[in-house]
Amino acid sequence: MRVAIAEDSVLLREGLTRILGDAGLDVVAAYDNADDLLQFVRGFPPEVAILDIRLPPTHNDEGMRAALQIRERHPGVGVLVLSQYLELGLAMQLLSESAEGVGYLLKDRISDVEDFTGAVRRVAGGGSAIDPKIVSTLLQRRRSDDPLDLLTPRERQVLELMATGASNQGIADDLVVTLRAAEKYVSGIFTKLGIPSTRSESRRVLAVLLYLRA
Amino acid sequence: MAGFGTLVVSVALALAGDELVRPGLQALLFNWITVPYLISGTIAWWRRPESRLGPLMIATGFVMALTALQWSTIPVLFSIGHLLDLVPAAMFLHVFLAYPTGRVVGRLRQVVVVCGYATAVVLQLAKIVLGINPDSLFTITTKPVLAGRIEQVQLVTMSVLLLVGAVLLLVRRPSPSLARRRPVALLVDSFGLALIMLALLFVAGLRGWPQVETVRHVTFAVLGLAPVVFLLGLLDARLARTDVGALLMELRAHPGGDLREPLARALHDPSLTLAFWLPKYGSWSDSEGHSVTLPGGAGGRATRVIYRDHEPVVALEFDRSLEDEHELLDAVAAAAGIALENSRLQADLRARLLELQGSRARVIDAGQQERKRLERNLHDGAQQRLVALALELGLIAGRSASDADTKARLMQAKQQVTDSLDELRDVARGIHPAVLTGHGLAVALESLTAQAAVPVVLEVTDGGRLPEHVEVAAYYVVNESLANIGKHAHATVASVRVTRSDELLVVEIVDDGVGGADTERGSGLRGLADRVEAIGGRLRIWSPVDGGTRLEAEIPCG
Repeated sequence: MRVAIAEDSVLLREGLTRILGDAGLDVVAAYDNADDLLQFVRGFPPEVAILDIRLPPTHNDEGMRAALQIRERHPGVGVLVLSQYLELGLAMQLLSESAEGVGYLLKDRISDVEDFTGAVRRVAGGGSAIDPKIVSTLLQRRRSDDPLDLLTPRERQVLELMATGASNQGIADDLVVTLRAAEKYVSGIFTKLGIPSTRSESRRVLAVLLYLRA
Repeated sequence: MAGFGTLVVSVALALAGDELVRPGLQALLFNWITVPYLISGTIAWWRRPESRLGPLMIATGFVMALTALQWSTIPVLFSIGHLLDLVPAAMFLHVFLAYPTGRVVGRLRQVVVVCGYATAVVLQLAKIVLGINPDSLFTITTKPVLAGRIEQVQLVTMSVLLLVGAVLLLVRRPSPSLARRRPVALLVDSFGLALIMLALLFVAGLRGWPQVETVRHVTFAVLGLAPVVFLLGLLDARLARTDVGALLMELRAHPGGDLREPLARALHDPSLTLAFWLPKYGSWSDSEGHSVTLPGGAGGRATRVIYRDHEPVVALEFDRSLEDEHELLDAVAAAAGIALENSRLQADLRARLLELQGSRARVIDAGQQERKRLERNLHDGAQQRLVALALELGLIAGRSASDADTKARLMQAKQQVTDSLDELRDVARGIHPAVLTGHGLAVALESLTAQAAVPVVLEVTDGGRLPEHVEVAAYYVVNESLANIGKHAHATVASVRVTRSDELLVVEIVDDGVGGADTERGSGLRGLADRVEAIGGRLRIWSPVDGGTRLEAEIPCG
């Protein structure tokens, strides 16, 4: 699996290259800027591109613009955006079309090597990886007669995992339940919240996030 | 005084009534002359106490009234009236030649006036003494031929003097080309005409023309007209002063506006030009800054320099005919002086205010740049290093799977590093929201409202990026407001609305809480108001007790 990286911090660029290599992923390019990455992606589209959201020269929105450009021009390339801060607005921009092959994670997540490489593989395979903090921020929002109050604590856990992009198997593994039980939770949640059910795991990420944000 | 004069006339006429050819018309014409002089004189004296014209006109009216005594049948009264018979003619000459100051200026004019009085008094006395009219008590001897000669000389001399006076008046008649000079020209015309008619009357009497009565009536009518025109002139001067009042109002309404136009209007002189004194260059300049020289009386122009603190400020250059109207000039010059002083003070105040606003904005901007720099340093330095450290700890922990204790402690250390990262993130974000710089207000507000303590409906009309200081101010307005709502409002729901026009960004935050917030209590809102005002904006709060709170910030963004 071919991975391209754009990260301007040498420490993190090397760290990323190392852990991804150790996990058996093929880091084919690692740059400190967005333009070089974009040029590489045009020539040799990898399965997934990992970008720091703040890249030179201005460290403003170069990383974000490059990510959106790859999403638009290379739908086959998964895009994983890393950032020191999480912005709901940027998450929604990345997901505006679909949650397919897209990830948005805090940089800290790199240190949970297994989870992180799992997220990279998921994005490369067309799945999603949304930072749990984004989801918990959305879930924090209280409202009067909230349909979320109808959910059992277990169902809330499942909802959170679903929103981060976890597959049914992933949910089952995480909660140590059977796949069938996980599937049952998922369909129960959709019924309770009145969200139209979908079999696609990445499409349901968007549905859940939009539901929570509304 | 006027009343007394009129009374004298009335008494005289009452005593004389039956002697006259046509008593009604005669009385009417007599009053027509006398009363206007008394009234005009009184008004002139009251309006311009420094001018001798008023008293002179009153005296003329008074003496005129006394001449009516010659129609009396009482010898004493008749004698006095008869003695004074021609004095009014000399006084008319005096009054007209003394207009407008009340002083007879110029050798020729003085000679004419003195001769007029001499003719009216000395020759009159001479012919009376010689018995021109035996009824007079002053008659000493009776030499009718000589007395008749003297009377002829007297009347001819007086006629000539009157005609000379008329010529003197008319040669210096101002051109009526300027609208504002018309009343003066008309006045001089009426004076001249009155003198000519008076001369004509004397000649008619001398020659024994049959139309002498008609000439007398016309002459009286014209003589009475002069003070009426004079009154109109006074009224015009009053109107001019109301123009000065309007000028002051206008200058106050448009401080710093063009000074020339209103001044020209008040002076009724469209040819008015202004010259400004430039102390730095020691020269005069026009309003465009081009150097000019003052005409100093050449080419029919005159100049009035306005001083402030013994230093010339501005010079008014105008048609020379205006020089007669000292009062108007004084008033306009004073008004211009006040306006100049006002605009100078206002300019000074505005400059200071701008300086203050500028320094306030600069302080905030400098603080903002410093915060940005700090956040950037944290992001590129400590935060990246801590992430790398957490990664390293994670990797080492992964490799020490054999030693459960070491692995657990490494994982704990890693957790502490990520906890520190969380804290550092909050600190850095508090210092400067990097998302604002990177992605703009709409994106930044999305996270802010999502993290608020109450559900927030966010509505942002997107129109691209705004100047950074505008975005930052708007962000802090929302941030601080949402924090206040979380802390004090006990609200169940809130809304944030950001709308913009070409030159104004309006941020409105509404909640349904307990209200009672104001900028004077609570330093947060005061600080917010300061921040918004420092960049020329305005912050307003409506927060009735138990009525929720609405906060509105208007920030210029043009």
